[in-house]
Amino acid sequence: MGQRLEALSGQALAILFALILGAVVIVAVGENPVRVLVTLLNGAFGSPERIAGTLLQATPILVCGVAACISLRAGLFNIGIEGQLFMGGFAAAWVGFSFSLPPVIHLLAAMAFAVFAGVAWIALPAFFRTRYNANEVVSTILGNYVAVLVTSYLTINIFKRPGGLPETPPILPTAYLPEFFSFSRLNWGLFIGIALAIGAQFVFQRTARGYAISEMGANAKFAEYGGIDIRRQGFLILLASGAVGGLAGGIEALGVHRRFMEGFAPGFGFDGVIAALLANGSPIGTIATALFFGALRSGSLLLEVDTTASREIITVIQALIILAVSAQIKLRRGASDSMAGERRWKF
Amino acid sequence: MSSLFRRIPTLCGAFALALASQAAAAKDVSIAAVSGYFAQGFGVSIVNGLKKAEKDLGVRVKLIDTGNRALDYEEQFNNVAKEGSYDLVFVMGWELVDALQKTAAAYPNTHFVFIDGVLDSKSISYANFAQNQGSFLAGALGAMLAEKGSAVEGFGNGKAIGFVGGRDLPVIRDFLAGYEQGAKAAAPDVRVDAVFAGTFDDPAKGSELTQTLYGQGSDIVYNVAGPTGEGVLQASAAAGKYSIGVDIDQCGVAPGHVAASMLKHADVAVYSLVKDVVDGRGVKPGGTYTYDLSTGGVELLLCPQVSDKIPADVKAKLEAFKADIVSGKISVATVK
Repeated sequence: MGQRLEALSGQALAILFALILGAVVIVAVGENPVRVLVTLLNGAFGSPERIAGTLLQATPILVCGVAACISLRAGLFNIGIEGQLFMGGFAAAWVGFSFSLPPVIHLLAAMAFAVFAGVAWIALPAFFRTRYNANEVVSTILGNYVAVLVTSYLTINIFKRPGGLPETPPILPTAYLPEFFSFSRLNWGLFIGIALAIGAQFVFQRTARGYAISEMGANAKFAEYGGIDIRRQGFLILLASGAVGGLAGGIEALGVHRRFMEGFAPGFGFDGVIAALLANGSPIGTIATALFFGALRSGSLLLEVDTTASREIITVIQALIILAVSAQIKLRRGASDSMAGERRWKF
Repeated sequence: MSSLFRRIPTLCGAFALALASQAAAAKDVSIAAVSGYFAQGFGVSIVNGLKKAEKDLGVRVKLIDTGNRALDYEEQFNNVAKEGSYDLVFVMGWELVDALQKTAAAYPNTHFVFIDGVLDSKSISYANFAQNQGSFLAGALGAMLAEKGSAVEGFGNGKAIGFVGGRDLPVIRDFLAGYEQGAKAAAPDVRVDAVFAGTFDDPAKGSELTQTLYGQGSDIVYNVAGPTGEGVLQASAAAGKYSIGVDIDQCGVAPGHVAASMLKHADVAVYSLVKDVVDGRGVKPGGTYTYDLSTGGVELLLCPQVSDKIPADVKAKLEAFKADIVSGKISVATVK
């Protein structure tokens, strides 16, 4: 427990350090850091609509973050969540506008297709990883570009809605992921994300398979020596990660946009990876970090309107946080002489 | 106690002052512009118009960048509209249409002006450009030069002209429709080869497509593709051939190779709409303000570096075409 507390305080220190550096940047562009902070908080939590907006922004980051946690736990790095999200989003929208099914069944079918598309998109990198030991970082990241272009091609050339915009027809109401309130697009996706995070945490900590995966992440050679089929487990874990990535796209398509369009949801896959890393690979912790990034993004929308600072300032802050956190991990790893520091972030 | 009494007049004074400043603030005009493209050609033109309005008319101007995440647009608009603190909100970019229409319906007190297109909503005003008319002249110029072939320096005898569009959007099709009609009217046997890059952000692709078009016999290529189009202009310099600029004066991007620029004066449009608000004339909700050849909203600027090489009869014919369009003798097809 003491160790966890130490890790947590280290993370908090890193964030604090990044925020102070961020304040310096804000001063450098001629804005008042206090005003920026107040506006950020107001934009993120200032009214029920804005709180809902924060949760809305946090949802895709959370779901993508869980996808990242799953692969990180096994010492694998699925950085292709972005691509799985695009494929999943397109698949869900396609089911949503192409078929006419009864209400609940339609929604479930669309979600299932999103999951399937995510799995299909990571299947090849996972296979290469398992069979030929090809680095999954490279193959999944390359998949991102292909996914964005393939979905964009399908949208523009085959499924384009009459009227000229580069988007598909809207999905049918039977496939809508229901919203909570009339004033926001916040939807059940948030609870799906939280349930996934809790579920992943449970599997990691309370099941034999979860233990095997954690062992593999800690030290693959040792795990193999202990009788764990690391190829098989690695393959399955990447598929599971891809499935959640695909689902993230499905939630965005069915709950928020209700269609698929060019430039569907750029960057969420990467935000999810960052949220997972910041949470030290813990799914429950990812709920907190996703909310943090969601609040930053949501607050930045007011920042753009009410101050002279650009909303991109939060991208700077986000980058500084990554820098501070990774420096901190590195420092701690260097300081420790045990193998425990070798966990996870091995490329 | 006595000190409190002594303060009362001061407090009253401060209060009155606050009221007065509020009254003055109410008379001020605040303008916002929402887009993801302030750094690019057409967006720069909008910014220039607003800067001019800020300087000449004393209005307050706020630029709001939307970034590129569709998830953000609705909440971004809500933040702009909620306080109702802007007299006019300009919006540019087709990807914002959905969020714009929802927000306009939810906040009827905020007056939006959509630039470069016309939508269904009756509470939004529209600043529309007759890019088809300007493109007609661009097509006529290109076709007449291609017709003359090697008589004009830098031209071969391919009898074709090219077109590189960004994304396949209605507004880009509108450019193309005018371009094709203009080419046909000026030189019926000249072919128009049109391609779409599928993106506004890829100069390398623009350059590649242009080289292909040159290879297929075109010697002049019209770009309607934002930053992708920069690649078109640069390719014309590299190949020693010609290109046509768009939206703003692009003659300087590849001097001597950009034959002309089809200007869309967003700055003029924005400035005149702001002036309407300042002067109390107001901007009509649901109204479409069209900026065309007759009002100088669009124009074909022959680049000074190339102007000498363009034969006088071509220039004369361009003027005649322009006069015919303005007088209504030629009606240019449009795509909505």
